[in-house]
Amino acid sequence: MATQEIFEHEPVSHAVAHYLVTVSELLEEYGYARVSDVARRIGITRGSASITLKGLRQKGLVTEDGRRFLGLSDSGKQVAESVLAKRRIMKDLMVRVLGVDPKQAGKDTCEIEHLLSSETAERARLLLEFVDSGSKASRDFQRNFARFIAKRDRGSAHG
Amino acid sequence: MGNKDAVRTLNEIFAEEVEAGIRYLHMAVTIKGMDRLVLQPELLKSMEETLSHARIIAEKLLEIGGVPSLDLRIELPGEMTTGQEAIRNSVEFERGALEAYKELMEDAAGDVRMEEFARAQIALESEHLAHFKLLLED
Repeated sequence: MATQEIFEHEPVSHAVAHYLVTVSELLEEYGYARVSDVARRIGITRGSASITLKGLRQKGLVTEDGRRFLGLSDSGKQVAESVLAKRRIMKDLMVRVLGVDPKQAGKDTCEIEHLLSSETAERARLLLEFVDSGSKASRDFQRNFARFIAKRDRGSAHG
Repeated sequence: MGNKDAVRTLNEIFAEEVEAGIRYLHMAVTIKGMDRLVLQPELLKSMEETLSHARIIAEKLLEIGGVPSLDLRIELPGEMTTGQEAIRNSVEFERGALEAYKELMEDAAGDVRMEEFARAQIALESEHLAHFKLLLED
């Protein structure tokens, strides 16, 4: 799938994105996903997970077989892959370029990953590409930005 | 089944039952139209039964040296509901509770008392679920 296509999907809520990504991750890790697995991973009751997943089935994003094993429809997969791709890129950007603590970056990414436009995600990806290019311009940028942050941090420390 | 695992699983089931009780209450008060006449008493009765199950679980927890604890994250829609939707949702979260008891029985293999307890609860929940499924049939 082309990069631009990876980022495209219908706008979804934070909760929907969270569920689809959780099902996707469980399928990737274990080869299957049940309602109880999703509930445990998210930290809610099976009852709550069951009701929300019913809604996602009705929207055509999630599938369920006769034995209650979950899957993602093509559109569900697209949304999950898009959100995961944006998550990876934004977390990378925050940690490697902005110097944010990885744990904080993880939390922040979780809040915004499903809201980012494909345009923003693509620009973020290009910025990372620039940083990884090894060119003099990118090395200068990283060095100067690191100095800028260090100077600001020193200034804050002295009050 | 280790005691720590038993306490964790029973607290999970405790949360399932308490949350189901809250959901039944919410549906009973938000059900609209003629469905209200027929289904509100049914839903309130289910609320009472579910909370009595929660009490049984809490007592079981104390029996094995645990303490009932809850960390509920529940969102209830701020809108009225139909009878059909209420029953469909009831089927979903009753299924959730039934699965939780089945997992308890699997994990309890070898612990005869816990197995018997789980088996009895599975029978009750299965009956409850079957009752709601029947209401959905044409």
